[in-house]
Amino acid sequence: MKNLLNLRNKTIYFDKYLFISISLLSIMGLVFLYSASQANTVVVFKQSIFVLFGLLLMFFLSQPDPNFYKSNSLMFFGISIVLIVLTLLIGKEANGAKRWLDFGFFTLQSSEIIKITLPVFLAAYLYDKKLPISLLNTFITLIVILIIVNLVRIQPDLGTSLVILMSGIYILFLAGLSWKFIGFSSIAFILSLPFFWNNFLEPFQQQRILTLLDPSADPYGTGWNITQSKIAIGSGGLQGKGYQMGSQAHLDFLPETETDFIFSVIAEEFGFIGVCLLLTVFIFILLRCLYLALNARDRFCRLTIGGLSLIFLSTVLINLSMVVGIIPVVGMPLPFISKGGSSLLSFYIAFGIIISMASHKKLMQK
Amino acid sequence: MINLEERISEKKSFFNRLIIVYIFFAGLFLYFLYKTFLLQISSYTDYEIASLENKTREVLIQPRRGVIYDRNGNILVNNVPSFNLIINPSSIENIDDHLNEINQIINLTEDEENYAKENFSRLAKLNRELVLKKNLSTDERSRFKVRKYKFPNTFIDQRYSRENLYPFLFSHSLGYTGSPEESDLEEIFLNQNLKPKEMIFSYSNGYLIGKTGLEYTYDDFIRGRFGKKIFEVDASGKFLNELRVVDEINGKDLFTSLDLESQKVAYEQLNRRRGAVVAVDINTGAIVTYLSSPSFSVNKIANGMTQKEFKLLINDDDKPFFDRAAQGRYSPASTIKPAIALFGIENNIIDWDFTLDDPGYFILPEDGRIYRGWKKGGHGNINLNDAIIESSNTFFFSLAYKSEIEDLTKHLSNFGFGEIVCLDCFLPDSGLLPNPSWKMNNLNFGWFKGDTVNLGVGQGYMSATPIQLAYYASFLANKGELNKFSFVQDNDNKEVKKNIFLSNNIDENDWLKLHESMIGVIENPKGTAGRLRALKDYTIAAKSGTVELVSTETKEDYKIIREIEGQRDHAIIIAFGPMPNPKYAVSVVIENGESGGSVAGPVAIEVLNALLKK
Repeated sequence: MKNLLNLRNKTIYFDKYLFISISLLSIMGLVFLYSASQANTVVVFKQSIFVLFGLLLMFFLSQPDPNFYKSNSLMFFGISIVLIVLTLLIGKEANGAKRWLDFGFFTLQSSEIIKITLPVFLAAYLYDKKLPISLLNTFITLIVILIIVNLVRIQPDLGTSLVILMSGIYILFLAGLSWKFIGFSSIAFILSLPFFWNNFLEPFQQQRILTLLDPSADPYGTGWNITQSKIAIGSGGLQGKGYQMGSQAHLDFLPETETDFIFSVIAEEFGFIGVCLLLTVFIFILLRCLYLALNARDRFCRLTIGGLSLIFLSTVLINLSMVVGIIPVVGMPLPFISKGGSSLLSFYIAFGIIISMASHKKLMQK
Repeated sequence: MINLEERISEKKSFFNRLIIVYIFFAGLFLYFLYKTFLLQISSYTDYEIASLENKTREVLIQPRRGVIYDRNGNILVNNVPSFNLIINPSSIENIDDHLNEINQIINLTEDEENYAKENFSRLAKLNRELVLKKNLSTDERSRFKVRKYKFPNTFIDQRYSRENLYPFLFSHSLGYTGSPEESDLEEIFLNQNLKPKEMIFSYSNGYLIGKTGLEYTYDDFIRGRFGKKIFEVDASGKFLNELRVVDEINGKDLFTSLDLESQKVAYEQLNRRRGAVVAVDINTGAIVTYLSSPSFSVNKIANGMTQKEFKLLINDDDKPFFDRAAQGRYSPASTIKPAIALFGIENNIIDWDFTLDDPGYFILPEDGRIYRGWKKGGHGNINLNDAIIESSNTFFFSLAYKSEIEDLTKHLSNFGFGEIVCLDCFLPDSGLLPNPSWKMNNLNFGWFKGDTVNLGVGQGYMSATPIQLAYYASFLANKGELNKFSFVQDNDNKEVKKNIFLSNNIDENDWLKLHESMIGVIENPKGTAGRLRALKDYTIAAKSGTVELVSTETKEDYKIIREIEGQRDHAIIIAFGPMPNPKYAVSVVIENGESGGSVAGPVAIEVLNALLKK
């Protein structure tokens, strides 16, 4: 098996495609971050530690057999919920949001963890159920999902809660949620949109959505971010302005250059060519995940790889759509590129699990 | 136990669903790529400009306004440097301490201190300079210079203000400058392709544009073009560094045709009396003397005067702001007679041998109305030459009586009456050349034959400005050929409109005879301006006039009405010389001066003297 390295009789589980491409992406991220942070070596050093730690973590998490995750999924899920609740109780507050648990050396954004453990748990839960999924099971899983989503939403963290919602729904969908149910619930969702608008969205969140519809209405107010991001991306042109030469990023016109809008910095400095190269790496990873999911050894692995890779895909697309103004600014990092601790590590964890499932082949297939 | 078939169908379903989601996201992804393509490739130029505009701030550098010279190279209007004390707030920590230290050397007023304190932190944040005090005295400058080492962030910089060196001489001709209106600035910026967000003015009074006179008409020429310093700024507007400097282009200097010496003479001669003097180089049409009196100080207007001073000027009965030379309307009175004479010759109504008995009055045959001459008993049997020298009214009443009014006004318009005769004068008036349709439209009366008769002696509805009278005089001097007037020496690049009198009957001989008669006005013992003979040592052709403001029958009646100064006759003269080859023509109007020959005449002679001395 080419995905197994045999060292001193010990089997090492490994997927060289994913490992190399993710390492490449992480290194590119560090290079971009150096420019986006105005050559702030402290920020880049800290991020390097995370990257190194994340890659190691990914490696170690790919060693256990998928059954380990399956049998312990409830425990992981339980711990995640405890962390979420703890966050609400004793979390660190910043910018009016309570999203972080302070461990002294590291502040953990607990919602980033549950983003991973929820789909794993759901996949394990549905592993031995009769498929297509029954209505009862659908409702049970939906209720679990909605409780978690709501716990995150009230932090408030709209972006992550949406990702968690999606992660649950992906699993349900992949597990064979009936089309009839999907149809009915979609209609119900659309009808209840005004209700959500009025009761679940904070005024600033409503403003962000309104801004998206017409950013020019208030270019110096809420539309500032989108406007400046578009200028940054657009002025990059085909070839970009050159590394560390982006005026939008370096003269502070662009907000949040290290996190949400790091793509705008890349687009400004490396142009359309740079954008395409970066996207190629992302696409490669996603296609690899698709391949692995389709060839997974059992239902649990299939659902988990499918679910986790779709979370990754969604996060990337939400970030990209946000910076070019397709969707409102929701606060979503670009995986492996944006600065960040918990969100960065969560994807290393996710890919660690994916690689574990891809590289452990069941002896008796079919 | 899950059977094989179920597992296969489940796998197939999973496969399908995952592909569906991936296809959905692939679509979204393509849309994103399309959006990025639009931004980076299709609209690249727009966003490149937007990014450039974001990060640069243009600061205008003001051009120096052109200097205005007279025809001999004397500076008339200049830019005078004033010295300002300026600090660099971003490198000063405590403004209060700094001001205290400055105060020990240069006294700052409370206003100046407050201004500095209020604007300090804002300008510091933006890295802009702050002007502490304007117009430093020499003393203050030297005191600061000695201690400059103590203040590395403070410096003295030169700014300019506009100064007319002869503020009362050229009030109306050169005019004055002032702060531009918003719309003026917009137009200037549009003209110069500028989109300034802010500017640094190097004039202490801010940017100036011409408001009146040549400062206005030649504003484009002497204005120059703004330069700019382009700074890189960050999102907060802070200056980071200077990227580029586009040098300003200073305004061109304006070399006028005005003559300082003759202007001084005219000013002294009029001595604040109400009136106007215009003198012209007849060969080029260049205005050399241009005075409207009384005048006012243009410097005070431009650099700020108190409300009280301004009110005094505005309410002055002598109306110093009124430009009498270009806008004052006066009846030409007897000065019109040479033009009427030419009409008679042109239309074969009279010739130089024609004689007429002048009993001192003319009776209009239609209604028996009497039109009187100025001399009781009349001038006896006179020909055209005598009629001009002695200024016989009867002769010209009679001549006008034989004229068709439409032909006569057409003829008079050749001499500039009712026309704009100056290319670059500030708001010139065209006077009034009346005709029947004008009278009907404006006075609602038909034209009487008597109106034509009155026109024969330049009285009645007709009026002309001093500049038109000067034009008329030049036209006569130049024998019916003349450029339109202008204030600049170099007429080459201007559209020179040569006005040529097209005539069938008037020949060189007639012009010479006419000049002879006008010389006689001064030189002939019977001439109306004989008193001027002694004031010069060359020959001058002239025609004087006295504008009746109130019609009187007898000298006794006039004595009564002249008790009120405003009812006295205006004094007018036109003159040109030296004869027989005239160089200059001059017109003088003195309001309520009573006698054209003896009051306006000397002014005209002195101005010609000043011009011909060289």
